[in-house]
Amino acid sequence: MLLELFQWLAQDIRAFNVFAYITLRAVLATMTALTISFILGPAVIRWLTAKRIGQAVRDDGPQTHLVKAGTPTMGGALILLSLGISTLLWADLTNRFVWIVLIVTFGFGAIGWVDDWRKVVERNPKGLSARTKFFWQSVIGLVAAIYIAFSISAPNNEKAIELFIQWVGSGFTLDMPTKTDLIVPFFKSVSYPLGILGFIVLTYLVIVGASNAVNLTDGLDGLAIMPTVMVGAALGIFAYVAGHAGFSKYLLLPYVPGAGELVVFCGALAGAGLGFLWFNAYPAEVFMGDVGALALGAALGAVAVVARQEIVLFIMGGVFVAETLSVMLQVGWFKYTKMRYGEGRRILRMAPLHHHFEQTGWKETQVVVRFWIITILLVLFGLSTLKIR
Amino acid sequence: MAMRTILALGETNLEAAGRKVMATPNANMRFWIITILLVLFGLSSLKIR
Repeated sequence: MLLELFQWLAQDIRAFNVFAYITLRAVLATMTALTISFILGPAVIRWLTAKRIGQAVRDDGPQTHLVKAGTPTMGGALILLSLGISTLLWADLTNRFVWIVLIVTFGFGAIGWVDDWRKVVERNPKGLSARTKFFWQSVIGLVAAIYIAFSISAPNNEKAIELFIQWVGSGFTLDMPTKTDLIVPFFKSVSYPLGILGFIVLTYLVIVGASNAVNLTDGLDGLAIMPTVMVGAALGIFAYVAGHAGFSKYLLLPYVPGAGELVVFCGALAGAGLGFLWFNAYPAEVFMGDVGALALGAALGAVAVVARQEIVLFIMGGVFVAETLSVMLQVGWFKYTKMRYGEGRRILRMAPLHHHFEQTGWKETQVVVRFWIITILLVLFGLSTLKIR
Repeated sequence: MAMRTILALGETNLEAAGRKVMATPNANMRFWIITILLVLFGLSSLKIR
């Protein structure tokens, strides 16, 4: 929004041209989102407390968590508010990728909002049924996947629609440019040709999977938000490279015109996340709830797909992946052993993984900070794929 | 001639934790957030000049 204003002002005062730089707007978006979080944070927490929007704590979880019962939740609304305002202020609103990532983020946030509202305000312990939640996640994920599949291969929306019509007319057999190939990190010339259907399926899985993975990780104070900030900031760098003709050519990555504008979104995400962490640090004054966790995970997935870095997201988000696998293995093994031996057995003392470590004697803050350290290492490893190939 | 102190406890981290304004981990993480911002601000000087 402000970009248009500054471009208009730059006609008379050339100094305003400085706002054309994506990097400057990304820094300003970070600062703006952070400031909004700091200003609105206390008011949002007071409002959530007044409305008695407090977290219910699972009674089969660690006993040390029982004291958290009643802590205000749905603080993810604060993240979305500051992220949305900051992005709308500083991003180029003619950019297609900014809009699709915003729609995915807020769409998943809306699903989380309804789920949280039913659980916490309407006191319905089931919330949104798993089937309904998955249905709406799939709708948003598939629509985004189809849009991104054609928009990264076409310079504008008109061409993207033309390409889509051609694809449908060809009986879904039309080949896509190599931009939709799955990039394999550490290899110069290795990429897996997905085809359009393969790309849509992969994108859908990345967006929905990342969303649910962040949601599963959000079980300790500050555990989900800091890795989200770190991975989001790193994906911003990848998006910048993908959107820069010179850097993408030099680093042998696909050039996706317009992807660079997502740095502004990623900057706002980092600022909003850090602002939220201020209140979410142990002992948390507020939890993000599904409204924050589902939205942030989906945002990471969408940015990774536009920047063509799905595998790198898998690496950098290793903590999210491990948390998800821990639940899948625990549940799978329990069901299998119950069927085989008549008695359910467990691999971990408790799932997700962070609760397992708590049960082994680690303090909550130790688990959180150690998972952050692992994420720092994974993010550095992911960033090294930019150059090492 | 009473001795007066600016902070309840020096250093600033002890001030925050000592006054029970913040729990120790809370003070730690908030100081880290401030450092992250200062580092980002410093790094931005690479490009913004």
